[in-house]
Amino acid sequence: MSQQRLNDILLFALLAVCVVWLVIPFGMAILWSLVDPAAPWTADRLLPPALSFSRWIDMWQNSSLKAALINSYTQAPLAAALSLSLAFPTAYALGRIRFPGREIAKLLVLLPLVVPSYVTAVFFSSLLFQLGLTGWKFGAIVFAHAVLFLPYSIRILIVSFEQVRDDHIEAARDLGAVFWRRWYVAYLPALRPGIFAATLIVFIKSIEMFAIAFIVGSPDIVMIPSLLFASLGQDYVRPNAAVLSLILVVPNILLMLFLERLLKSANPSLSSGKG
Amino acid sequence: MSGVFIRNVHMRFGRFVALEDVSLSVAPGEFVTLLGPSGCGKTTLLKIISGFTVPTSGHIEIGGEDVTQVPPEKRDTALCFQSYALFPHLSVNDNLEFGLLNKGMARGERGQRIDEVAAQLALELQLAKLPNQLSGGQQQRVSLGRALAMRPKVLLFDEPLSNLDAKLRDQVRIEIRRIQKSHALTAIYVTHDQAEALAMSDRVVVMNAGRVEQVATPEELYHAPRTSFVADFIGNANVIDAAVLGEDKPGLWRLQTELGQLQARSAAPPRAKEIRICWRPEAAELDGTEAQSIEARLTHRSFQGHYTDLFLDKEGCEFRILVPQVHADVGDLLRFTLAPEKIVLLEPVA
Repeated sequence: MSQQRLNDILLFALLAVCVVWLVIPFGMAILWSLVDPAAPWTADRLLPPALSFSRWIDMWQNSSLKAALINSYTQAPLAAALSLSLAFPTAYALGRIRFPGREIAKLLVLLPLVVPSYVTAVFFSSLLFQLGLTGWKFGAIVFAHAVLFLPYSIRILIVSFEQVRDDHIEAARDLGAVFWRRWYVAYLPALRPGIFAATLIVFIKSIEMFAIAFIVGSPDIVMIPSLLFASLGQDYVRPNAAVLSLILVVPNILLMLFLERLLKSANPSLSSGKG
Repeated sequence: MSGVFIRNVHMRFGRFVALEDVSLSVAPGEFVTLLGPSGCGKTTLLKIISGFTVPTSGHIEIGGEDVTQVPPEKRDTALCFQSYALFPHLSVNDNLEFGLLNKGMARGERGQRIDEVAAQLALELQLAKLPNQLSGGQQQRVSLGRALAMRPKVLLFDEPLSNLDAKLRDQVRIEIRRIQKSHALTAIYVTHDQAEALAMSDRVVVMNAGRVEQVATPEELYHAPRTSFVADFIGNANVIDAAVLGEDKPGLWRLQTELGQLQARSAAPPRAKEIRICWRPEAAELDGTEAQSIEARLTHRSFQGHYTDLFLDKEGCEFRILVPQVHADVGDLLRFTLAPEKIVLLEPVA
């Protein structure tokens, strides 16, 4: 088989995977979200008989969507910020300080990922009741998400801290830099890609996390995932679920593209290569 | 201009002794090189001088002030790193300006200082560029400029030329020396390259296993090494054991060696009965007619252009000589002369 033919086959396979995994689900979600309530999309039709934004308007006006959007897009950045803040000291210690058992400690920080999120959710819920903090559910969700996704933040930031070059720190000190100037000139350029990546991961995971939002927050706090699961479960309306799915996914894609640009501008070769 | 005084410095990392009782005095405006093989302690000593490492014991004085416990950010030294350590996200201009900003210098003065350094190092056209847009030589010049802009009391170099190719190394070497001289800067330079040390320095400190073997001018080190380590490390040397038989005339010592009896001229008496001696390969003269002539068999010859490297053997004692021109084949017996003043008396045999 020639190289050209092999390339063609691989390209075709990639396109097929993209179609099956991305184009079809997205296409279906878009079509379902635009189905006109007056003309249902029945099984005997390939495409909806009529398209309109009625479902979008209806969801916006008659559901908890506005509150869910505000809640989700407030708690996710807060959870990302809190997770990063909590991860920083641990990542610094594991990335910069040499001590016996460091490699084992690096593995141990990943262990919480094996705990199912429902277990964490139940634990936080019972903790809130025990502490009498049931009125602080929003904060509890933020804190729970930050803790739950801490292993991602720590692991990413450890790698970033390991990328910080000792000679840059020493050069900064040699040139009389005080602590924060050393931080700006030697640490930040190497940490920036890691900070963006950790923020992105925690933000997206937090936006999509159903268990905590449902067990800890309901019924007072509505988040997009709990609304989505309600649409798919107890009051199953497929067009409404499609609208929510798109609302959940589209901002994430935009954020991902935005951070991808930022990551490119923080070219790691600049901070790790010669120079 | 400030001198550096290193007094009885010891440095231990756990059970490993990196430096043992090192003392050294560097005069203001002097260019001193710390030379030695890997692991000899030269970089550790430089880190102690720059303040990144605090010695286990001993003192460092710069300009008459004890700075042993002073951190690098408060020490008036500037270090040129082996890796250049330029901040990759800052332009050349910002790299040069970084230390001046830390000093709290006014904008106008900063600009003037940068222009001055850039002109001196031919960096005017590179000021807006990022370090990764520069060649290795240009990066080295920025690193040097960043240090020079600080106008430190002492300029420190940690093998700054090791990442450059041979031709560029020669150019930058001359440039560093020119700038050091023109500013009369006190400079301490670390290298493992003996050619670099000999070419650049006012004095060279040869280090071995955490100790100072010898401190001398390049010429003195080459022609009058004190130990076989120095003789071997600086250029090529033939080192053999010798027994001192006596003093034939004042300053003329008779020695028994594997090559037979030899005379060596030395104003200082030998340090023991059993010592080591050395001579440089180029010190021998082929077909010599002097009394002190040695006959040995040629085992290998290597043509090097303007001279030929001859490897000889006399009853199991192997050595080499350098001669401008020779008509001899491997296996021939060659006679050469070794003048007494070319033989150097070294340390006692351990």
